[in-house]
Amino acid sequence: MNRQRWLILIYRLPREPSGPRVAVWRKLKALGALYLQDGVVALPGEAVTREQLEWLQVQIREAQGEATLWKAQPNTAGENTALVATFQSSREEAYRALIAQAERIQRKVALGGSNALPEELSKLEREFRLERRRDYFRSPLRKEAAAALKAARRAVRQTDSTDGISVRSSG
Amino acid sequence: MLWATREGCHVDRTGCIWLIKRFIDPEGTFSFFADPGEAPEEAELFDVAGARLSHHGEDCSFETFLKEYSLKDPVLEEIAEIIHDADLMDEKYGRPESEGLDVIIRGMQLVLPDDYALTRAADSIFDGLYAYLSREVP
Repeated sequence: MNRQRWLILIYRLPREPSGPRVAVWRKLKALGALYLQDGVVALPGEAVTREQLEWLQVQIREAQGEATLWKAQPNTAGENTALVATFQSSREEAYRALIAQAERIQRKVALGGSNALPEELSKLEREFRLERRRDYFRSPLRKEAAAALKAARRAVRQTDSTDGISVRSSG
Repeated sequence: MLWATREGCHVDRTGCIWLIKRFIDPEGTFSFFADPGEAPEEAELFDVAGARLSHHGEDCSFETFLKEYSLKDPVLEEIAEIIHDADLMDEKYGRPESEGLDVIIRGMQLVLPDDYALTRAADSIFDGLYAYLSREVP
């Protein structure tokens, strides 16, 4: 099997001010990067991740830090598999939370619902899209999360149509 | 004038190229390179690490262009917010359009043969965005 190419960012930022440190950390988190250890992060090598890490490198240097960016390959297939698995499981946690929240919305609908539900659900749907974007290895739970959100959306739409003018659901 | 940037354009670079064509240098020509070392000597580089017209501080390149060329158009400023959010994914301006624009340009990247075709197609998107926002922005 062809081994995955990775990008490794090694960086150090001054302890103070904390602003740039937090900004970099937040950005890496949003990208779904994995901290191998303090100041060392891994992401799968793709056009998008590469570009984002290059800008982070610039940002870190502008904040008087040091950053080097590497293309890398784990030494063994086993290490590679372990890394992929870690990436997948970090997304799975997020998917599991989304599924639980979607089911909670469905239960609330069953109990009569509330006006806040559509907005709550839209927030979850957005979170799902962000999660999916950084789910580089297609965690198995992605499908399940998508289905849970669809079911919640159907439920919320149905209460919408029953408490106003009656609209026949087209399913 | 010859303008050069990295190949594989996404929102920020397609947006900058549209901005150059419409507001800065209508006669400009463009070149795309894989490595900055291959850039033509005489070209003005943009959206390349270390260039004048690139990311600075929190700004994406499109925002830097607006500042460097003192373009004070409120519609362009709105487009800059959308491009910023799509490019840096930091929700700085909370622009919902950015999510759609990001997906559309990524998708066009997948189906169009090269950056020339991509930026030509993206021009229409930014023209449309500009026309629409012109009606909305006070």
